[in-house]
Amino acid sequence: MITTPVKLWRRQKNVAGLIGVTGQILHWTIIRVPAKTFMNEAPYPVVIVELSNKQRMIGQLVDWEEADLKRGRKVIAVLRRSFTADSESIITYAIKFKSL
Amino acid sequence: MKINILGTATTEFGELWKTSPRELARVAIQGALKDAGKRPKDIDALFVGNMLAGIFGNQANLGSLFCEELGVNVPASHVEAACASGGLALHNAINSLLAGRYNTVLVLGVEKMTDSSQDEVTAGLMAAGSDEERQAGVTFPGIYALMAQAYMSEYNVTEEELAAVSVKNHFHGSLNDKAQFRRIITVEDVMRSGKIADPLKLLDCSPISDGASAVVISTETSKNSKPVFITASEVATDTLSLHDRQSFTTLSSVVRASQAAYKKVGIKASGVDVAEIHDCFSIAEAIATEDLGFSKRGEGAKDIANGRMTIGKGKIITNPSGGLKACGHPVGATGIKQIVEITQHLRGEAGARQVRGAKIGLTHNVGGSGAIAVIHILQN
Repeated sequence: MITTPVKLWRRQKNVAGLIGVTGQILHWTIIRVPAKTFMNEAPYPVVIVELSNKQRMIGQLVDWEEADLKRGRKVIAVLRRSFTADSESIITYAIKFKSL
Repeated sequence: MKINILGTATTEFGELWKTSPRELARVAIQGALKDAGKRPKDIDALFVGNMLAGIFGNQANLGSLFCEELGVNVPASHVEAACASGGLALHNAINSLLAGRYNTVLVLGVEKMTDSSQDEVTAGLMAAGSDEERQAGVTFPGIYALMAQAYMSEYNVTEEELAAVSVKNHFHGSLNDKAQFRRIITVEDVMRSGKIADPLKLLDCSPISDGASAVVISTETSKNSKPVFITASEVATDTLSLHDRQSFTTLSSVVRASQAAYKKVGIKASGVDVAEIHDCFSIAEAIATEDLGFSKRGEGAKDIANGRMTIGKGKIITNPSGGLKACGHPVGATGIKQIVEITQHLRGEAGARQVRGAKIGLTHNVGGSGAIAVIHILQN
């Protein structure tokens, strides 16, 4: 995945406004065989969330347990460390979700 | 103007470590030219469907590359539409004939995937998704797993019923000497296979494959005693991201492209005898049979589990080649392999897996999670 500093910088503009927004899980899965950049994180759940403003997002569920993997579960958007391409690359941060 | 299929050929699909992409292309091209009774000098233009050569092989400029292989200097272009690259290359080739620009063109679909590791391929294929999906660390099995979750809860469908799609396609693949997997599997085998993205298991997923397929199409009449024509070539697009769509249990691109194709030739879905479906995952074929109108909403997986699309049992036979699941899925080649397969059935040359009396065939080639759908209808 291309993670140049300028691409990450452009993306940051959209992130701040989403932190703390709540929503509910529409659908969930657990990624057990990930892409290369997420090799160290699997297994991890990915959820499609409908936010309180009706916007839909896809993101990882963090600090989770089995009981959180339910349709309708209330979640909050949090900023969390995401993948790092290699030890020399920028550490990326992304919006993820946490059960409320 | 009639679009005639003059010749078709496909390589074996599989883990072909000894074979380079160039050799794959050569075998498919020479086979299609021979079947068409044509020589390279008879070709007016080349269209190449491929997704990953630039990402994995650092090789772009594929039109020129394969013209070099053909030994010609005709106009050539590379068409990319993720896993629908082959189908879209054919669509563009047909348009060039309809425009009156060329008389006879060659369409090649080719992909070399097994040189890369599984995690690299999983990452590379995500180029077909959106930036948001890549950020989330979701994979294509994961995206289709989300559709499966939606489908199973909306229509009360079980994992076993979804598994029946793979069981059918492996049975069909067992009859195809070009298929990557030629062994029969059971629902229990699918259920016991390792989880990839819940609820999808390894045997719900199409494999990583190498392969090439080619077709010669022309405004000229075929000399084959059972000529085959392409009577509809329709394309529709949708959002890149699954989560931006209203429904997760239908692909609107498939509905729109297939409805346009049926209208073009004046048939209903029930008029189709045989179809090659883009079953990248078991859930994909279940949803496709509904989007194409072969099954009622929520009944696609159940119809397949009941044998309604199996050779020798069903009325509309889906994926006689074994589909992406058993025949293999070299992504850029798939859309062309589907055309090769349907042509064989309409000519009555499909051997042990022949769909008897097939007169109308359909191919369903999808890119991304439904961001593009390419539908072709073939007739005698």
